[in-house]
Amino acid sequence: MSEKPQASQPVKSKSSIAVLRERHGGMTAELKEYFKEQQRVRKALRGALKGGPKTIPELAAACALEKPAAVWHVMAMRRYGEVVEGEERAGYMLYALKEA
Amino acid sequence: MAKIRERYDALVVGGGIAGMQAALDLGEQGFEVLLVEKEPSIGGIMVGLNKVFPTLDCSSCICTPRMAEVSHHPKIQLQTYTEVNKVEKRGNGFVVRLLKKPRFIEEDACVGCNLCELACPIDVPHEFDYGLGARRAVYIPHGNAIPQKVVLDVEHCVFCGKCEKVCPTHCFDFTQEPEEVSTEVGTVILATGLNITPMGAKQEYGAGNLVNVMNPLAMERVQSSNGPYGHVLRPSDGKIPRSIAYVQCAGSRDRSIGVPYCSRVCCMYSLKQALLLTHYIHGLDVTLYHMDIRAFGKGYEQFYRRAMREGVKVVKGKVAKITEVENQDLVVRVELLDENGRVEERRYDLVVLAQGLVAGWHAGNVIAAEEADDGFFRTPEPKVDPSHTTLEGVFAGGVSAGPKDIPDAIVEAGEAAMAAANHLRRTGWHAVAGVSLAVGAATHQVAERCEVC
Repeated sequence: MSEKPQASQPVKSKSSIAVLRERHGGMTAELKEYFKEQQRVRKALRGALKGGPKTIPELAAACALEKPAAVWHVMAMRRYGEVVEGEERAGYMLYALKEA
Repeated sequence: MAKIRERYDALVVGGGIAGMQAALDLGEQGFEVLLVEKEPSIGGIMVGLNKVFPTLDCSSCICTPRMAEVSHHPKIQLQTYTEVNKVEKRGNGFVVRLLKKPRFIEEDACVGCNLCELACPIDVPHEFDYGLGARRAVYIPHGNAIPQKVVLDVEHCVFCGKCEKVCPTHCFDFTQEPEEVSTEVGTVILATGLNITPMGAKQEYGAGNLVNVMNPLAMERVQSSNGPYGHVLRPSDGKIPRSIAYVQCAGSRDRSIGVPYCSRVCCMYSLKQALLLTHYIHGLDVTLYHMDIRAFGKGYEQFYRRAMREGVKVVKGKVAKITEVENQDLVVRVELLDENGRVEERRYDLVVLAQGLVAGWHAGNVIAAEEADDGFFRTPEPKVDPSHTTLEGVFAGGVSAGPKDIPDAIVEAGEAAMAAANHLRRTGWHAVAGVSLAVGAATHQVAERCEVC
């Protein structure tokens, strides 16, 4: 049975993210809003890309996004393997969902 | 990770190319070196560059072997993600107080598998890509990072615990806190590098508010094969640019922003980037507006001629203003100096500002080495002792003493290392009891290395 750490002693429970959350006061309201918006945008982008490869301006229009934000989100999805780059079309690259 | 010991021969502050060179030069002479880097990885600015001028060698191909050598060198202890809080003279050495920032992992246990980074649900702008790309809240700084260990950015952590759940070695330690540690050294080399002048400094160039006006280091990342986009694209809409302007002296030789000096590298890095852009984008119109081109180094003038031969337009002209128009294109208003000062407005997809170099770190009350008026460390005898600062036993390596290119930074870091070694010999400082490189007294281990005696 593990001992409950006392407040005055260094906490040594490597298995609990709760320690960190407590120490740092959890997510700020700003970060919560940022994260929520990011999830909304990613869902919208995935939905738009299900219809086939698109350029950044097409994705921005489909998701009611500012184009610079669309660039950043698509590049983040590309970096972490959700999106792949396709051919060039009229001066823009096409992006598609990575097939499972 | 090795514990910080009580004594070293030398402290090197900064793990960029100059700091690594100084540490290696001292380590090869048998001195015990502590190399401290504030970022989670060594490599500094150079490891993020695309190619170097005038040879167009791959920058990270030059830098990463040095990084590996530093990390494996038996005489160099690498301490990343650590700040220098205080350096004070004591006797013939220095007492150093360091602040180790928490990575929230046990470094020896982390195998750099990246599974935690892939599991982390939040993306934030990546500093290594100047905000153009993304990283996760838990991340390895970049593919060439040394050490290949993750760091948790607690400010952006959503506290979901997924990183911990997927970690195969159970390396996370969320109880870590910043830790202050002290050590003693016989000499200090400051290799604290550079910053570029801020984007916001020039109102007439958009003050950092125009998305398609880029800083030159961001352009390095965009051009890099491991960059944020994988192609040269513009940040506003992902378009492959068809026209790009470079604005020279956009942060140097400019008293209005407190940078009256020439930064020495802007002409060459701009020419290099412009030339490479013509290779990456066929038919690209790339124009460099300058007051005069300063191509002073070995092979630089030839490189300048080559760039022009291969299609880079070099125009003597002073850019007065950059304005954003529809589609976030940019209009550059330029006074053409070779055409009797005629003023013209030209439209571009993208503009790169050739911003100047400023000191990467200010000593404040951390160390009593004086700074010159330009913010770099003062070296009172630059012709005969270019690395000697105003504080005996403290030496400036690389860009910390003033703007310079990579070859010069490496050479001057080597000079700083030799000056530091001579200082150690003069003072008789020794990191290990009974082992002195200064007098050749003592052990076989040292005697076979230093050749002093």
